[in-house]
Amino acid sequence: MADSKDIESATTAIILDGIVPDSRTRRYDRQLRLWAASGQSALEHSRILVLSSSATSSSILKNLVLPGIGHFTILDKSIVTPEDAGNNFFLEGPDSIGKSRAEETVHFLAELNEGVDGRADTRELRELLNDPKGAAEWLGTYTIVIAHNLDNGLLEKLSTLLWEDESLPPLVVVHSAGFLAEFAIQFHEHTIIESHLESSPSLRIDKAFPALRDYALSLDFQNMDPTDHSHIPYVVILVRVLEEWRNTHNGLPPQTYPEKQAFKAKISSMKRKFDEENVEEAESQAYRCWTTSAVPSEISALLSDPRLSQPALSLPPFFRLLKALKKFTERHDILPLTSTLPDMKANTEEYVKLQRMYKNRAAEEKAEIREILVEDGGAEGVDDVLIDQFVKNAHRLKILNGRKWGTLEKEKDGERIINALESSPKQAATHFGLSALQRVLSKRGNTNQSQRQGQLQPPKITIEELTAEAQALLPSGASLPETEWNEVAGELVRAPTADLPNSAAFLGGLVAQEVIKMITKQYVPVDGICVIDLIETWTGVI
Amino acid sequence: MSVQPHFNGSAVPHDWAGRYYHIDQILNAPGPRTDPAFLAGDEVKDFLRNQVKILVIGAGGLGCEILANLALTGFKDIHVIDMDTIDISNLNRQFLFRQKDVGKSKATIAAEFIMKRVPGVKVTPYHGKIQDKDDDYYMQFNIIICGLDSVEARRWINATLVNLVDPENPESLKPLIDGGFKGQARVILPTITSCYECSLDMLNKPTAFPICTIANTPRLPEHCIEWASVLEWPRIHGDKKLDTDDPEHITWLYKAAAARAHEFNIEGVNWSLTQGVVKNIIPAIASTNAIIAASCCNEAFKIATSSAAYLNNYFMLIGTDGVYSYTFEHEKRDDCPVCGGEALDLSISSNTTVEQLIEMLVEKQDIQIKKPSLSTPTKQIYLQAPPQLEEATRPNLSKKILELVPAGGEITVTASTLPFSLSLRINYT
Amino acid sequence: MIKIWSMKKNEDAAAKKKPKTSAAQIRVQKDLTELDLPATMKTHFSDPADLLNFSLTITPDEGMYRGGAFVFSFAINANYPHEPPKVKCTQKIYHPNVDLEGNVCLNILREDWKPVLNLNSIMVGLQYLFLEPNADDPLNKEAAMEMSKNRDVFLQHVKQSMRGGSVKGIQYDSVIAR
Repeated sequence: MADSKDIESATTAIILDGIVPDSRTRRYDRQLRLWAASGQSALEHSRILVLSSSATSSSILKNLVLPGIGHFTILDKSIVTPEDAGNNFFLEGPDSIGKSRAEETVHFLAELNEGVDGRADTRELRELLNDPKGAAEWLGTYTIVIAHNLDNGLLEKLSTLLWEDESLPPLVVVHSAGFLAEFAIQFHEHTIIESHLESSPSLRIDKAFPALRDYALSLDFQNMDPTDHSHIPYVVILVRVLEEWRNTHNGLPPQTYPEKQAFKAKISSMKRKFDEENVEEAESQAYRCWTTSAVPSEISALLSDPRLSQPALSLPPFFRLLKALKKFTERHDILPLTSTLPDMKANTEEYVKLQRMYKNRAAEEKAEIREILVEDGGAEGVDDVLIDQFVKNAHRLKILNGRKWGTLEKEKDGERIINALESSPKQAATHFGLSALQRVLSKRGNTNQSQRQGQLQPPKITIEELTAEAQALLPSGASLPETEWNEVAGELVRAPTADLPNSAAFLGGLVAQEVIKMITKQYVPVDGICVIDLIETWTGVI
Repeated sequence: MSVQPHFNGSAVPHDWAGRYYHIDQILNAPGPRTDPAFLAGDEVKDFLRNQVKILVIGAGGLGCEILANLALTGFKDIHVIDMDTIDISNLNRQFLFRQKDVGKSKATIAAEFIMKRVPGVKVTPYHGKIQDKDDDYYMQFNIIICGLDSVEARRWINATLVNLVDPENPESLKPLIDGGFKGQARVILPTITSCYECSLDMLNKPTAFPICTIANTPRLPEHCIEWASVLEWPRIHGDKKLDTDDPEHITWLYKAAAARAHEFNIEGVNWSLTQGVVKNIIPAIASTNAIIAASCCNEAFKIATSSAAYLNNYFMLIGTDGVYSYTFEHEKRDDCPVCGGEALDLSISSNTTVEQLIEMLVEKQDIQIKKPSLSTPTKQIYLQAPPQLEEATRPNLSKKILELVPAGGEITVTASTLPFSLSLRINYT
Repeated sequence: MIKIWSMKKNEDAAAKKKPKTSAAQIRVQKDLTELDLPATMKTHFSDPADLLNFSLTITPDEGMYRGGAFVFSFAINANYPHEPPKVKCTQKIYHPNVDLEGNVCLNILREDWKPVLNLNSIMVGLQYLFLEPNADDPLNKEAAMEMSKNRDVFLQHVKQSMRGGSVKGIQYDSVIAR
């Protein structure tokens, strides 16, 4: 959820005339509240390539066109069949039969949002991939590539091509059959500043900065009028009581359980009446006095990245900032202060005063980060807005290390597979079932082409065939969990090529959501293979 | 081209060959998790396509998606209710609407769009409130899907469907599939599984700030906005109702809040935040709606066809940190005001007075009620307290029940000794 | 079709129609008939058939508001108890926690409302405001200031206002109990 600050920057930036937002801002109002103007701008500059215009592909695109991506291309040379016309909302029923599938779906998808540019490409992927250099150049013009139920051989080729050059876009691989589905995102590394994770930054009560400490010590609690007393912010109470405690405890905060209880009692004894709310808040927040404001372990791990020893200018902006952050934490053993102060019982004057202290201090520490950046020679191309975002989110930065599609099956020791089969048999069985199905279908090839229009029959696949294919994917010594496998395999042979409207819509939402996270670099995308079962209705991640 | 259908507005259009290639893979054969009662083949297809009548409540973010999915799945007789008109801020996700539709009825435009896009599907819109319709109306449907953002409306339809259940009429039990745009989908079998009211305490309560903070010690921009809407608007405008959909009203609030924020040195009041606070806006995007709507329609399909097990009974998706979902069985509550409590069939003589009935209830060993208060859905019969109401209802004590309750009518009994209430169905001997 | 439908249709049962009592209505009936009020509080229904709108009169028998009769209006909507009732003081009174428009500062009426609370809890909370006005969280800032700074003057103002006199240029309603 966006906090009020984000909404503010989202909207003030776009308001054109007067105070009422323009129609574009009003159109996107509900999503701007999630990813702000920065996220919207990233979306609007994105170019999406989708391979095929199946019902699932169209559903994914629908949920990207609506929020306003910049451009999409559908690569599909096929002609709309009667079967397509029955399950794709972005075709016009029988009127679309016989027309180019890419052109028809682009037409109906583009209608959803005039601000989005859509293009149909009726070339064939197989031929394009025969020229790897040309293909790489073409693929490089996109932000992300999405492939639904792509032929297994082509998928291998495409994923390898995209993996080998780190500058090429991430690939989203989606497989579905009937009620079962899975998808995963292939990427090398994904850095996130605005993760929106719920961890809250330290208020530095244990390491009060001078202005805060001086202020807390300057107040005369004893002789204060009762109304003023009941409006001292808990932050100030805690800083003060901790200081007094340290004076009588060799400079240490409360450490043992009895000490912590005694500390709380000390706070409680300040109460002028039994239900003084601010003192109660201080008591419940007392843990902040003995939780040391240090660099959280997740952030320390990021700071130990060997790349940070390289010259700043050779690094991308995120890592330059990370390098500066490292130096800052080495100096202060703490993350830079954020200016956001939670709401607390206080009168306006006290709260605003306190807020200003935090703001000023945060600005000073941000300035220090900027100075380090300049000293390191890494300030070029890093604007103040970015530094601001980075410092504000320093406690919840995130780096995801991705994998190539299909590597799970190719691991030599297969330990992760064996673990997955044991710890989450349902999810693992579904994954191997869908992988096996793709392989079986790819081996059969496109035998359906010769069928008469509207007389297409789903391929007959046996459980034995599927089981053999799945077993071939397992490392030696691993076996499929029997009950779960029978449920998965039975369902897959029942509907091997069914792109059900509801499954397509479900995947359409789920995949689009992850793609938006990748493009905006906000929120945390799924790390692993996401498996979906729409019979019992669950999702899981391997 | 092999089979090209012609529609000419005929009621039952012919499907084209291959139309249901995808769905029929499911309907032609059972899977491992399919109930043995499933009858694969023509019968179930005929039921789905020619017999089922389904109601969609809400044609907004979830509703648009639900209508599209149902139509493609093969439901052909769909009804939709929505009292709202289209606003520009709907267009980023309510994909059946275009700029030119702004201001028109959501239900009507959505129905027209679906019928144009998916041939042979009949969508009957109703532009109005769900409360306008009576039990007979709801009785005609096989399944009801709810895509609403209002707690009040969901409580109403839930209670209506629970009350509709007549033990002697299996047709009266209407599965309710409820989608919530925060990321929940659930299946409610009224009186059998937990109902919407059972889970009311799971709802986040709306943020409310202490009124004295708003009045005297504002700290956040939100406090200034609440001051403008809760205190200043009624002070200046008297009884004139605040319309949060009226941009002029929001602008007035914004200006009042901004002035107050300035006075108190508080930063961050702007038009958008003002609108967000007073309308209690929850951010919404197409993708979350798509997931929840798809899940609702998928349950409707499985329930209508028995082609696979259905959700038991609650699915929750949280998509901010990776993909995390939670599927669980929400338990029915015995003390649920809607589906909990007992209902008794009571046969009494047509001469029985209210006083006699109360004595009967107090003496009844198996229920042990002390000081029962009685009412019908439209009036009070006898209330034990407060004194004024006791006095006002006291003349009823000597009246015959028959004068107050028709045969088959219901009496609601409350008493401190009951977990919630007891419902009596009265018949006369 | 799932099993619940496999049974036969019963045409005539559908004909019988019954209006239903809403959960909110039952809950209000329950709350009202189980009220446990001291002699200092009394409810009044201008329309005894309408349980959702009524007034409460508080006549404190101790404290500085003794001798007054304070009237609050209660309006309950269909979303009760998910939403709290709307409660206002119908008179213009001089009280630190009640403003001149009749708004009342009581936590359980807003931020701390929970469906497990009931009408009784609200009424008891309202009465408490007259026994122990709270100067720290004021709605009438003037009154609160006076109360914490000059208690004697405050008491005088209370008496004056209750008789319908004016305090600092503001005329208050007479609330003397008859």
